[in-house]
Parts: sequence; C-alpha cells; structure tokens
Amino acid sequence: MAAVATTGKQKVGWGTANTIVVALALIPLLWIISLSFKTPAAITDASFWPQQWTLSNYFGSTGILDTSTFIRPLLNSIGIGLIATFIAVVLASMAAYAVARLAFPGKQLLIGMALLIAMFPQISLVTPMFSIERALGLFNTWPGLIIPYIAFGLPLGIYILSAFFREIPWELEKAAKMDGATPFQAFTKVIAPLAAPGMVTTAILVFLFCWNEFLFAISFTSTISSRTAPAALAFFSGSSQFTAPTGPISAAAVVITIPIIIFVLFFQRRIVAGLTSGAVKG
Amino acid sequence: MMSDKDGPAQRSGGRPRRRPGNRRRAWAGLAVAGLAASGLAACGTASAGTGPVTLTYYQYPDTSGAIPKQIAACNAQSHGKYTISYQQLPLASDQQRLQLVRRLAAHDSSLDILGLDVTWEAEFAQAGWIQAWTGANKQQAEAGTLQPMVQTAIWKNKLYAVPDNTNTQLLWYNSALVPNPPTTWAQMIADAEQLAKQGKPHYIEIQGAQYEGATVWFNTMLASAGGSVLTPDAKHVSLGAPAVTALKVMHQLATSVAADPSLDVQEENQNRLAMEANTAAFQLNYPFVYPAMKADNPKLFKTFKWAPYPETVAGKPAHVTIGGIDLAISSYSRHKSLAFQAALCLRDKPNQLINATVGGVPPTLTSLYSDPKLFPDYPFHADILKALESASIRPKTPLYQVLSIDISHLVSPPGGINPASTEKQLVNDVNNGLQSKGLIP
Amino acid sequence: MSNTLGTEVVPADQTAEQPGGKRALSEGARAERRLGWMLCAPAVIVMVAVTAYPIIYAVYLSLRQDNLELPQLTKFVGLANYGAVLSSPFWWDALKVTVIITVVSVAIELVLGMLLALLMHRTLFGRNTVRTAALIPYGIVTVAAAFGWQYAWTPSEGYLSAAFNNSAPLSHTVPAIAVIILAEVWKTTPFMGLLLLAGLALVPDDLQKAAMVDGATGWQRFTRITLPLMKPAILVALLFRTLDAFRVFDNIYVLTAGGNNTGSVSILGYDNLFGALNLGVGSAISILIFICVAIIAVLFIKGFGTAAPGSDIGKR
Repeated sequence: MAAVATTGKQKVGWGTANTIVVALALIPLLWIISLSFKTPAAITDASFWPQQWTLSNYFGSTGILDTSTFIRPLLNSIGIGLIATFIAVVLASMAAYAVARLAFPGKQLLIGMALLIAMFPQISLVTPMFSIERALGLFNTWPGLIIPYIAFGLPLGIYILSAFFREIPWELEKAAKMDGATPFQAFTKVIAPLAAPGMVTTAILVFLFCWNEFLFAISFTSTISSRTAPAALAFFSGSSQFTAPTGPISAAAVVITIPIIIFVLFFQRRIVAGLTSGAVKG
Repeated sequence: MMSDKDGPAQRSGGRPRRRPGNRRRAWAGLAVAGLAASGLAACGTASAGTGPVTLTYYQYPDTSGAIPKQIAACNAQSHGKYTISYQQLPLASDQQRLQLVRRLAAHDSSLDILGLDVTWEAEFAQAGWIQAWTGANKQQAEAGTLQPMVQTAIWKNKLYAVPDNTNTQLLWYNSALVPNPPTTWAQMIADAEQLAKQGKPHYIEIQGAQYEGATVWFNTMLASAGGSVLTPDAKHVSLGAPAVTALKVMHQLATSVAADPSLDVQEENQNRLAMEANTAAFQLNYPFVYPAMKADNPKLFKTFKWAPYPETVAGKPAHVTIGGIDLAISSYSRHKSLAFQAALCLRDKPNQLINATVGGVPPTLTSLYSDPKLFPDYPFHADILKALESASIRPKTPLYQVLSIDISHLVSPPGGINPASTEKQLVNDVNNGLQSKGLIP
Repeated sequence: MSNTLGTEVVPADQTAEQPGGKRALSEGARAERRLGWMLCAPAVIVMVAVTAYPIIYAVYLSLRQDNLELPQLTKFVGLANYGAVLSSPFWWDALKVTVIITVVSVAIELVLGMLLALLMHRTLFGRNTVRTAALIPYGIVTVAAAFGWQYAWTPSEGYLSAAFNNSAPLSHTVPAIAVIILAEVWKTTPFMGLLLLAGLALVPDDLQKAAMVDGATGWQRFTRITLPLMKPAILVALLFRTLDAFRVFDNIYVLTAGGNNTGSVSILGYDNLFGALNLGVGSAISILIFICVAIIAVLFIKGFGTAAPGSDIGKR
C-alpha cells in the first residue's frame, strides 16, 4: 500500500465516499425493514419510519417466524445454496484451470457451451426440465434444485476463474516444481492461494444466484420440503385474497437478508487477502 | 410440453408406469383401467382395508384458518374413508394456474381436488384435465347454487366443477362526502367532479392496471350496456355498439378529475388503500374492503357505506362480473369417486358458512344469504345477493387467457382508450386470439 | 469464440524435459490432453446432462404449431412461428424497451461499479463495512426488493413518491422505465463492483508505484495501467451483466407487470409461453431472445479480443 501519510483531507474524502455508498446501498433496505415493522393500517402512510412499531409480522399468529411455512424454506435455501455453490466452485475450478493452463482440443467448444447455457432463456427450458425431473423422481427434492443450479452456475464460475488463472504467472508453478513439489502440491500451495480471490468471488456470486433464483424454485417444487425462500414468498397471503401481504413479505425479506449479511461479511475479507500475502513479489 | 403419448397410467395399484408407444397395449390398458375404476366406484370399499385414502386439495393460501376448519369437518364426516390434505397454491391467480397446468399436462396423479378460478373451467375441460360431474353428484352440485356460478362450471353442456365461493363488486362510498349514492356512472363522475371543485377527496377508485382486473371492469361495463365479448357459441366475436358505449364511459372516467393519478397501475388492494387513506370518495371493489376498513380506519368506517354497482346506461341495471372458485376433480386422480364426495362436503352449507364468516369469501348457496348467521359479517348481504343473481360471466372459452390479455392491453391504460378505434382493435385482436393467431402482448 | 481455434500452444518446458524428439512431445502433449479432459469432464457432464435435451426440445417446439389449449392443431410449421413473432409489433416494442433498459442500466452500472470497486479496494478505513454494505443489495431477493420499490414510488404511500412531489412514475412509460432501471442498477451494481474489484486486486502495486515515481497522474495511472490490466475482468463483468440485463424480468413483473409499454422480451415470452400456453410461439420468442443475446456476446468477445478466456494459455 502507499506509504504516504494519510492527511486529514484524505480521510474526510474517503469517509464521505464511504458514507455515500453505504447510504445508497442501505436506504432502500431500511425502507423494507421499516415496512416490516408497520401495522397493516399504517402501510398507507408515507412516513419512512413506522409511527407505531409492531412485531406482528415476525411473531404471533400472523408472524412469519411462528408459522413453520417460512423457516423450512429458509433452511432449504441455505442448504441448497451451500451445496450447489460448493460443488459448482469445485467443478468450475477444475475446468477453469484446464482452460487457462492446458492445451487440449474441445476447449473452444467448452467455452462456447458454457456461454450458450448462460445465454439461453430459462423460461423455455422449464417445461422439458420439469418433465425430466418428474421422470427421474427429482421433482420436489433438494437434488432437483441443486443439479440445475450447478449447471447454470458453472458458466459464470468457469469464466471468472479462467480469467483469474490466466493472470497467475506460469513461472510460479515451474518454480514450485523445480523445488520438488508435485503438481498437486504446486496447485494447493502456490496457485490456490493466488486464485483465492477468484474462487471467493465465484462462490459469492454463485451462492447469490441460487439464493435469488425464482423460476426453477417455483416450478420444480410443490411443498415446503424443498421450496426455497424466494418461491415461498409467492405463497404468502394477506388477510384476504386481494390484500398484498406487504408486512409478511418485508419481514421475510429482512429475515432472508440476515444470512446474506453474515455470508458476505465472512467472505469479503478473503477477496484480496491472497494477493497481499507476497507470493507475487517473489 | 412432453405429451404423454405412451400408454395410460395403470390404476390398479402401484405407481404409473410409462410404456413405449404401443396402440394395442394402450387400449388394453384403458380397458383394464376402466374396469378397475368402475369396480372401485361400485364397491367403494377397496381402500377400507388399507386405511383412509389421502386426497390432495389444491387451493389458494388461506391465512384465516377457514380452510383447515373445513377440511377437519369433512375428514370427520368421512368416517375414515378419506383424509384431505391441504396443498397450498401461490397467492397470485396466474401462478396458481401455472402450477396446476404444468402438473396436469404431465398427467400427475397426485392431484385430486382442485380449486379453480371461474375462468379456467373451459380451458381445463377442453384439455381433458378435469372430470365431468354426472348423475347424483351433478344434482347435488347444482342444487340451491347461484345460477351464474353454475354457468361458470359448464362447458359443452357438461358440468365440470362445483361452485365453492364467489365474489362480486359493489360501490363503496364515504357517506360524509356523498349523502346519496349515485346510480349511474355518469352521475358518479359528476358527483366526483363536484367534490373536486369543493377541494374534498374525490377520486373514484377502480382497477385500471393492465391485468385481469381491467378485463373484469370492461366485462362488467360491456355486460351492463347489454353486450358481450363473444357470441353464445363462443366461436365468434360480438362486441359492437355496447362495447363502444362501455369504452366511452371508461375513457370518460380516466380523463376526468375523478381518476386517481395511479389509476394505470392500480389493483384491488391499492384501491382499498386509497379509500382507507381518505383520498377517494368512491370505490368499486369486492367486499373484502369492509372488514379491512373496520380494522384499519375505524373513524372512516363510521361513514363507510355501500350501494349497488352503478349503471353504465341509465335505466339498464348493471351486470357485475362474477368471480370466485369452483372445485374440480382431476382426470388423473386415483380416487375420483371419493374426491367427488369430498368436494361436495367441502362446499356444503356449514362449510360455506365458515368460508364466509372466517374466510371472508361470499357463499354460493343461495339459502345462506337469508341465514342470520351471515348477517353480522355481511350487512350488505342483500345487495350482494342481488348482484350475484344478475351477474355476468367472463367469456367462456378455452382461450380465455389469451382473450383476457388482449382485452386488458387495449383497455388499460384507460386514458388511452379511443372508443371507436379501440373497439375495432378489440374485434381484431379477439378474433386473432380465438384462432390462436399471432402473439399476445 | 476467439481466434485461436485448434491451434495448440505446446508448453516450452515440456519439450525441454523430454529431449526425445517428436514421440516424447506427443506423450507429454497427450498427457496434457487427458488431464485437460479429465478436469473438464465433471463440469461438462453436469451442464450437458441438464440442458442438452431441454435446449433441443425448445428449438424443436419453436418449429411446430403447438398450443396446449388446441392440441388437435399441432403440426410442423417450420419457420412460421418466427415469421409471426418478427412481424408482430409487440415483439419490436418489447425489443425496444429491452434494449433501452439494457444499454442504460449496464452503462450506469459499469461506471458506478468501477467507482465502487475502487472504493472497496482503496478506502482508508471501514473497508469491511463498505464492502459488506455495498454487496447487500445484490443479496436481497429481487422480488422483495421490487415490492419495496413499488411501495416507495406509490403516491401518498411511499417516501420516494413524496420526495418527488407525490408523483406516480409507474403510471407512465418513460418514468416507469426509469424506475425499473433504478431498481436494476441498485440491485446489480454490487455484482459489477465485485467482479471489477477482483480484477483490480490483480493489478500489481509495483507497477503503480513505478508509474508514480515516473510522475504519472492518478488519471494516467488509471487509464494506462489499471484499465488495460483489468480487461479480462471487465469483459466478464460486462458480458454477464449485459446477458442478464437483456433478459430482465423480475423487476418489471413486480413493478408494472409490463403495462404501459414497459414489457421486455422476456415478459413477452413468458406471456405467450405460460399465459397463452402457446408453446410454439413462446419457444420461438425464446430462441430469438437467445439469438439477440448471442449476437451481443459475440460482439463483446470480438471487441475484447485476447482478453477472452481460452484465447491463449496463461502467461508462460
């Protein structure tokens, strides 16, 4: 990092920038939080903060946490997301390493296929995939969502990771091999730490893709045993068929966001950790 | 969609197996299935030895507790023959339809009783997804039920569902602003303009967003003007002069000061909220607004009154479009006879009363409207009954979804209506829709 | 995709290790090939197994007149569905809206994302807070966020509408599209920022320091050193973001349901495929969306040239 002394003016400058970014990012979230603490009658008032705070959207008979219909979808989202992300990152790393480092025919085909899958509109794939899943008995199961999520998360992962692997100098692997390391050791001790930013980025983005995904979640599940959180939102109901369940949906949005905050908080430190460890300067 | 041209599912126990296409086997399978089904229907005790049969009941998500109550009552009444299992569908009507269509088109046998919106019966029946009601079941389904609701369940002269609950709109108004409710649209708009001049809340709340609600509004206005979208045989477009009249009134509202600035994106819920926020003087909406106003704005509730839907043409009583849910039996259900019984139970008199008082949806049995138990929650029962008995229904055709989207895209935003040319475009688009030509917007 | 189709770069060290001439070369090369295939196999198997049949089926459907509501009229019609779509004004209106939303939102996101990446990388304090806060919008379920925006912009109900003189932007085409773009930008700028940050982190500091010593200004350092080195990351970010922006659906569906001429091509496809159950036309719309998106992808990759993945093999 730059060794110049940080002046007061610089601090103020960065501080202002920080504040603006945090504010722009969080104000709409605060609005949703505020909606989740409003009573149904107060939804119409244009005030930002509730004049009367209520926990009825979270607890109690109309609360989302007291009825089992939301906790289970939340757990499904977390479980399916983590499993799909882990597998996708592993598979994508392997493929990306091969694409970036090795020479073999069919590489362009792989890249093209990955891009094709990333580009194809998913609405037209839902119906045949639904039929396949029913035939294989995967309908309304965790694997029934995990497998499609891996398949649609791989293209992004392969692209990001191959871009990363390319940037890592080849000399490092050679040096490690000269020092007597096996290819596997070279990979884990030298390359992986440098690729960590890319792997973390991929993990975050693939997880968030699974987390946000709605179309497959609502088409391939029928009960809460495997329905994920975004799909569960579609089943929330207000006090009547016409009343939009603003309170419960906002409360659910808040609850869904908490694991994300924890997840991001945990991972974002490691994005640049790898590079500043000094391996590159060797 | 993967059309299952392979043999039919085997009904005599076991899971359905798909066989490679083989005509002879298919017909044999059908014969076996037919024999087995009739055998089941005849003795009806095939499942007695193995415990109660589980019937899946697909219905909108209910938070009031009414549906679980009805299910418990019917389970008890069945004396161990069946247990109904409540499977929730999404809140939004089009999502519900998608879930059902997807699984019915795949011949999923795990669906038994289906809660269908009143506009889907023709589509589902034409595609062979729901079972026709015959004999005693049919009689029981139709006895004492509101005629327009029975109409919604009939396709090609056969009954395909039993009406469960219904809904229709009334005029709701603030009596502090409007001592005498208007009887025609023209009068209502004039009243609103008057209120506007006095600087008082004056909006007329109506559903103007580009969705089914706009089609419902147009259908109401059109039927009230003496017209209809399709000819009675549902094969040709009707519309014509009544449509122009209806469109004129809709356009008049949209361009007057009575129109809510958000009219173009308003649905029933936003109408309700605007009324509760006291920015509106009138509201055309379903009865759900009554308990909501009571809970949300008790002060305004004191002057919250109702009246029949205003007439489109002076002198011609309005025919409000009917809504609601019918219960149908899936053609792929493995327990059809039990499902018919269960469906009839779910919508019998005591259960419809629960639906009305706890669930907040009006009943379809005419006798309930003179039942004193209904009155506390439905002080407007007389007006609702009158509206229901003279209600209009939306065009009955398997292509209703297409027509609905075509119509809603032309009448919404209502400010963009040009009565004469919009009518011509409607005729054109609905014609194309009936022949499944071209795209829908 | 890129220009080096089929030409294999033989790693120099392998030839050095095997001083046996041609046969030794191919042994090493063959081992490399096998390793390459083995590493790619799992990913390829998953992708193909899940999507091959559905994609082929979708293409097949688009060539047939297939309407679930009129099953008796099903037949092969070749390119008639495509003709119907391309001659329909609904398609071109939706395409116009989609292009506007895509171009404007991606442009804004690129600039904001770059600024965000710079901030996340270089800010002097509170780095964890800024990074976490900045990524949260991407983590909020789209539908829930869209509901939040809808309420915020409804007159006499929301704070944003009140801030803008109680206007109702969602009721008119241009303001509604602006609100949709705002919702899209708010939600996915973190995606761009994160990818660009990852690219930024790869730019070695020594180069920056050396340039500073040589007297380069911040702007010069940024445009001459940082940006070129970030090209691969920018490509990935732009490419994937544009592909997703072109298929925008959730935000429009919740905010306006496509009313007032704000429907995108995805909403058109959804309506025809699931609303009208017109599988033939709906699949044709999907294939056309795919073709548009493929054209964009090809243009990007050609434009970025050697920054594309797989176009050369690492830094040897």
